[in-house]
Amino acid sequence: MKRRDFLRTTAAGAAGISLLGIPFATEAADKTIKLTILHTNDQHSRIDPFPDDGRAYGGMGGMARRASLISEIRKQEANVLLFDSGDIWQGTPYFNFFEGELEFKLMTQMQYDAATLGNHDFDNGLEGLQRQLPHAGFPFLSANYDFSETILKDAFKPYKVFEKQGLRVGVFGLGIQLKGLVGKMHYGQTVYLDPVQKAQEMVQVLRQQEKCHFVICLSHLGYSYVGEKIDDRKLAQRVSGIDLLLGGHTHTFMEVPEVIRHDSGHETMINQVGWSGLFLGRIDFAFQKKSKRKVGVHTAVLAVDNPVLTS
Amino acid sequence: MKKPLRTSLNLLLLLLPLVGCQPRVWQATTAAAATDVPVDHALKDHPQVETTIAPYRERVTAQMSEVIGYSEAELTKGEYQSPLGNFVVDLLLEESRELYGQPIDMAVATNGGFRSPIPEGKVTMGNAFELMPFENELVVLTLDGPTVQELFDFAASTRIAPMANATYTALDGKASNITINGKAFDPARHYTVLTSDYLANGGDHMTMFSKALKTEKVGMLMRDAIVRHIRELTASGKPIKPDTAPRVTFHPQP
Repeated sequence: MKRRDFLRTTAAGAAGISLLGIPFATEAADKTIKLTILHTNDQHSRIDPFPDDGRAYGGMGGMARRASLISEIRKQEANVLLFDSGDIWQGTPYFNFFEGELEFKLMTQMQYDAATLGNHDFDNGLEGLQRQLPHAGFPFLSANYDFSETILKDAFKPYKVFEKQGLRVGVFGLGIQLKGLVGKMHYGQTVYLDPVQKAQEMVQVLRQQEKCHFVICLSHLGYSYVGEKIDDRKLAQRVSGIDLLLGGHTHTFMEVPEVIRHDSGHETMINQVGWSGLFLGRIDFAFQKKSKRKVGVHTAVLAVDNPVLTS
Repeated sequence: MKKPLRTSLNLLLLLLPLVGCQPRVWQATTAAAATDVPVDHALKDHPQVETTIAPYRERVTAQMSEVIGYSEAELTKGEYQSPLGNFVVDLLLEESRELYGQPIDMAVATNGGFRSPIPEGKVTMGNAFELMPFENELVVLTLDGPTVQELFDFAASTRIAPMANATYTALDGKASNITINGKAFDPARHYTVLTSDYLANGGDHMTMFSKALKTEKVGMLMRDAIVRHIRELTASGKPIKPDTAPRVTFHPQP
């Protein structure tokens, strides 16, 4: 639990951001709605834990364990949303032998609310994805892939709105440029659209038309690149109105979520939890019941084999 | 346009600890702390999920334990050339030539792609997956002479790139006395080089591949080629043998 300790120190000390907040407890519980966001990214078909043979992260991960963790949290929290930011597939023989069927089934049992597509989710082509979609009891959200000229026309929606105690949470998905990353024969006529422009449209639709109080982006763009290539940090700087950006692709273990402030003053929190389901991301938000204004965000850093560190 | 944004962000982050003791400088923004909950031994398996996994796991285990061949010795990787490196690049070239239908001059891979040795004795499907867990595809690149020279210089300086159907001398990070297909390297002609899509796209810093004149897929995954080759050996009653004949002449580092 070294990492845990380190996280705690960082959060309390150097990061600073954490010092700005009002503690959750000071908000009267009856005046707030608590929203618990759980998330994963880049699961890469890691059904079973990493073999505990001295390798990095040996003995960690495992979908049956994650399911227990999620179901415990669901018992404690009224408003849970569970998301994945893509690359569910590829990385263990489970994928080679069963083509992603088991991954989708288990995510369905865990009651994932939505996911977005990663580049590896195209690894068996559009046909391979189409074959397994019936096993996914959750929607894939994609706002910047145009599938209209493919067999997956109408298979995906750009966004979905979830309502929890009157709080409207709008969620949309963004994928990475497929050219060069995925074989052309695998993505076929799928068209990649500018994620910045699409994100702006999504924010507009979700806030204006759908009257959402909170906007979440599931992104498989990647956390941060040197150069012009679009990433989660650049997206947050260029698009105002995303509250939470749950990332993937770069397998980034973030010590703390990063908060990026747009010129407009809007703040976007970015988080990503490495890969392979080694960790489950958890972020708790509090909203004023009346105004649905966000009044708090904190993390129940529930170290699984330790007492609760913050609450 | 981006720079001022980044600067202001950095400034903001710098200022945060200073103002931290004051009440609410950002409206509606509060604490951000670490968020990831480890999934580890402390958690029990969820019974329903575990029940779903079990039959799949049995089938994976059964398939992974299938013996596909035998090896006379453990094949491990090493600098410049190695029993494991030689075995893999040779078989990739052999299997690809059959499928590709046109001549391929040579093959190159990198040690980073070999994730596990081939054990002495029984070789299982699981061993093939451990050796090559990636879904890398085989591609044939057409390179001009100077780019081929760069490729050999890369192999000479990094020592991580075993080659099939080629030999050279490595000295001071440069390659000389290059032969391809048994003939002296001719910088004036084009060569076809078999490698993985990962390396062809610049993986392991093989940036010279971006100068490829042509890139064509063979239509086979590296691992499938490995499995196929080992099965073929077994079917013809042959074990895997380490090839230790020198391909690279080099002088040990002082």
